[in-house]
Amino acid sequence: MHIPDGFIDPKISYGLMGAAVAVLGYCLHKVKAAVTALAPREAFAAVGRGVKSLTGKGRRVLTKLGEQKIYLMGMVAALVFAAQMFNFSIDKGTSGHLIGGVLAVVLLGPFAGTIVIAAVLMVQALFFADGGLVVMGANIVNMAFFGALLSYYIYAGLKRYLKEWLSIGIAAWCSVVIAALAASLEIGLSGTFALGVVMGSMLKVHAVIGLAEALITVVLIQIFRKVVPIGEGQA
Amino acid sequence: MKNIILLSILIAVLAAFFASTHPDGLEKVAENLGFIHKGMERSSVMTDYAVPFISHEGISTSAAGILGILISLGLFWATALFLRKIAK
Repeated sequence: MHIPDGFIDPKISYGLMGAAVAVLGYCLHKVKAAVTALAPREAFAAVGRGVKSLTGKGRRVLTKLGEQKIYLMGMVAALVFAAQMFNFSIDKGTSGHLIGGVLAVVLLGPFAGTIVIAAVLMVQALFFADGGLVVMGANIVNMAFFGALLSYYIYAGLKRYLKEWLSIGIAAWCSVVIAALAASLEIGLSGTFALGVVMGSMLKVHAVIGLAEALITVVLIQIFRKVVPIGEGQA
Repeated sequence: MKNIILLSILIAVLAAFFASTHPDGLEKVAENLGFIHKGMERSSVMTDYAVPFISHEGISTSAAGILGILISLGLFWATALFLRKIAK
């Protein structure tokens, strides 16, 4: 669902670029807090000033666990990149491929997972000309913000009532459909084509692609957890 | 760790030989509705997941896939190494 340059009005593209920067900035802030701790010397000094300063300013350094987390993010990025290459036929003349948003956030947590999807989108646009440059913000909003970050909360909400694999599957389906609707909205509002028609057509195709996303996501998470014994991501 | 990287490479190589070459959902909608021509064709170092100097299509896409995996992985691993270095 990588939008090429030209489908979206430049003004909307720049707005979405700003939104993408804000989302990623927030995610980076959250991940940084999770993978670092106050440097020992500062921590000792902070004890004297009370607990509040322990979590406040001071030089933060990467923790051992934090380092493992970043390596893990790299592995998930590699897996998502590879899986996105695998286009499967869904109909005569149409294909789909994994987005991997829910895959990433279930394995890594909402913020680290969102960064991973955005990083893969950037690699694809810069090195493979897959997805536009001016519209990179739009693609990040669609697939990383809606497809990963927002979808994490769908998954987390469902998990309170349903089995985990079912929550993953439903969230994965929703992630594709919501990303498709967001893309349609951007294309429609840009005046590229009538909004209602684009939305209807996109919904029809991606409701089917979403089923594959759900299946692949559930299977890949099972495999990943077998190979790499990790708990649910916290960052 | 190594296993996930090998799995990713396996998926990329399988994709290079067996993935569908049909347009994806968005491209198909744009084709059907007739606005596909508004999309700008761009090129980059590995346009369309092919390494330019390898003529065999499957091998070229496999190589592009492996490079993409290494770039994605490297981005994060380089960050971790950098942060570890400045932590000292």
